[in-house]
Amino acid sequence: MNEASLLKLNLGPQHPSTHGVLRLILELDGEKILSCKPDVGYLHRGMEKMAEKLSYIQYLPLVDRIDYLAGFFYSELLCRTVENALEIELSERVKIIRTIMLELNRIASHLLWIGAFLMDLGAVSPFFYTFREREIILKYFEKITGQRMMNNYFVFGGVRRDLFDTKDIEEFLSILPSKIKDYEKIIDRNPIFIQRTKNKGILDPETAINGGITGVNLRASGINFDLRKTDYLYKDYDFTPIVLDGKDAYSRYRARVLELSESSKIIKQALEKLKQNTELRQAPVKPIGFKLPEGEYYSQIEAPRGLASCYIKSTREEKPYRLKWRTGSYYSVNLLRKILKGTYLNDAIAIAGSLDIILPEVDK
Amino acid sequence: MRIHEFANIFKDCEIVGEKIIIKSNLAKTINFIKNDYGFNMLKDITAVDNQENGIELIYRMYSTENEEEVVISITVNGETESISKIFDSAMADEKEIYDLFGINFIGNDELERLYMPESWEGNPLRKDYEEKDERLNWNE
Repeated sequence: MNEASLLKLNLGPQHPSTHGVLRLILELDGEKILSCKPDVGYLHRGMEKMAEKLSYIQYLPLVDRIDYLAGFFYSELLCRTVENALEIELSERVKIIRTIMLELNRIASHLLWIGAFLMDLGAVSPFFYTFREREIILKYFEKITGQRMMNNYFVFGGVRRDLFDTKDIEEFLSILPSKIKDYEKIIDRNPIFIQRTKNKGILDPETAINGGITGVNLRASGINFDLRKTDYLYKDYDFTPIVLDGKDAYSRYRARVLELSESSKIIKQALEKLKQNTELRQAPVKPIGFKLPEGEYYSQIEAPRGLASCYIKSTREEKPYRLKWRTGSYYSVNLLRKILKGTYLNDAIAIAGSLDIILPEVDK
Repeated sequence: MRIHEFANIFKDCEIVGEKIIIKSNLAKTINFIKNDYGFNMLKDITAVDNQENGIELIYRMYSTENEEEVVISITVNGETESISKIFDSAMADEKEIYDLFGINFIGNDELERLYMPESWEGNPLRKDYEEKDERLNWNE
């Protein structure tokens, strides 16, 4: 190999297909990628540092911004960790409301990904179709929480307002299956899409587990690892984690589409439970002046982009002594070094896109 | 639970709650738990600055087969062994801890500033970190 023929290519941070500010430094031989070095940190806001300077209730509105597409999950994580520490038992109604909101959020997040991924591959119209459906969910979020994204709806020990109207959601769930069929019709058997994703970005189970890949990406590699199965919020619901063994970008796409219907199954059951539930909304913890008992607290959740966890060390002060987030995307970005090696430049976008990377989550 | 089984094997360890606190041989221990007991996933590494008691590193390992978790903790002072050769995901965590806590992982040759700019001084998540940015004093 001639040294002089190698090319160093800078992909991003302003590249439209990198979903934010991901920068990849690629070394190319012709079109073949010899090495890839991700450069992150363009969106670093010091989420963990801020936690040490703010009281828990002051910090709560910030955590939605760790992943703006799945804000509910991070609110839930912080609430859950604090509730564990204070030994607060949630009422049944709060649990149902939280499950509904989390799963709606998961659907919204997956819908956005499907649109954006197809956009990366050059197909523009699916983007509008998935955004049309996502809009219904965001409108509903706005109605209930007052915000389309970054809702700040969960509070320690409860939710901010009761879920007073579920008609929109029932309507949405009734049209979703036909919409999913539409996506499958335009996308699944499209020869260009298949050529660009089938057998591309192979992630065998050992590499994936070793690299800390979790969530849908791991399940699309044939490993049944879904935290919802052991999560206390989901324990009364009937659903099956989607496990596919294609290991490639195509099966990661399929897994997300199938997860849409699995999530809507959970929401339907939750809505049924909500109807039978006549409890009043649980009053949240008094916002001022609570301190966590001394100790270490850890909780985790199955977020749309993989395992997310929150660790709090408290020294019995109003602020956490140390708070640490584990986010799924960061490990996907880290593993790009390995997955992209030996592939071709025109596949790089498809492979990176298929892992569902979101940069605010990476940079924290 | 395996935790007491481990306590018998590692003579030099202490069990506090769910944590196994070891004093040395970090890479060897992690490698042993991974290969002999099938804890094949490293969920994350958490660093906590305990000031005069050094910096505590918490390794959370998980077995996808047995669905078990084991937590290893070690207290370090400035540097420790890298396990990035054992777990790919450790590379991500070690880079982050190097940037925010200034711990040098021996054997990891990709350590550099991650979130903070190259010219940044200090490690922001250390308790003795001083904020030198004069813009923070805007209201004085």
